[in-house]
Amino acid sequence: MIDEKILVWKFNRGSKDAFQMLYEKYKDDLLGLAITLLRDRSLAEDVVHDVFVSFAGTTGSFHLSGTLKGYLSTCVANAARDRNRSRSRRDVGLEAAEAMGCNAGDPVEYAIDSEQSGRLTQLLGRVAYEQREVIVLHLHQGMRFKEIAEALGISINTAQSRYRYGLEKLRSIMNTMVTK
Amino acid sequence: MKPTENIEEFVKLEKPHVTTGGSMDKWTLNDSFAAMDETIRAGKPSAAGIILRSRAAKLAVAAVIFVAVGLLMVYRNPPVQPPPETVSVAKSPAEMLTAKSLIIAYRHGGIEAVERQCDKALKMQGPRLDKLEIKELFAEIETDLERMEL
Repeated sequence: MIDEKILVWKFNRGSKDAFQMLYEKYKDDLLGLAITLLRDRSLAEDVVHDVFVSFAGTTGSFHLSGTLKGYLSTCVANAARDRNRSRSRRDVGLEAAEAMGCNAGDPVEYAIDSEQSGRLTQLLGRVAYEQREVIVLHLHQGMRFKEIAEALGISINTAQSRYRYGLEKLRSIMNTMVTK
Repeated sequence: MKPTENIEEFVKLEKPHVTTGGSMDKWTLNDSFAAMDETIRAGKPSAAGIILRSRAAKLAVAAVIFVAVGLLMVYRNPPVQPPPETVSVAKSPAEMLTAKSLIIAYRHGGIEAVERQCDKALKMQGPRLDKLEIKELFAEIETDLERMEL
């Protein structure tokens, strides 16, 4: 935590090494978040790229009030929501979820990623985006409901109910799969 | 563990572990460094800006402004001080009107204090008599002289 504060301090003074260290620390985590939200590796990479470029542009004036992970996760969630709205209105179903990772450069990397992240991503793909967003931010990124509510501009009750309904939906989907 | 038993644990355990590709890292870092350079070129933040970014500095500046405004208000509207009270050394009206008492009063509060002391002495003496016999006047003077000699 102290190291992170020092890195942010150095980054604010224009250190590219500090920025690169922060990038290395959070890139995979944020890419996983973006993939889970968007179910499209190519779009997810774009989102993570844009978030880091925007973050880099704040050097000299960046002020961190909470944790950097929470800040970057919020940025990724907001950017992913914008992408989700603006991308073509095609129906992104399970077929699209299976296509996740098709743009990964290395086929071996893609195969590992698909195996590790595919199952949950496919299941979450059947949950409403707003519910999926809260579930992932809470359970994967470790954000509290208060933080999520502030980041998404909703009330805490709304965040909690989205989480609850999302998990119920996920549970019913999984129960259906088990009975089959 | 069946996934339906504890859905939250399942979601946590199934967190995707993906890695970014080398091309993505290169692409992102290059664009980020360019953005940093552009921001730095666009305008280096001033020293005052950096200092004022901290909360303590903001509080200190607010306190200085508050004190300055307070001093300015005091300077422009100084509090009205009550006039110094005349110290009454003498106890009787006659003593109050002696040269010594009047000089002391003058030293304490100027001619105004002398006037106040005279008024006070007159008030203490009470209303004047309509008629005053010569004998009574002499008797009073004698009494006063005796008291002063004592």
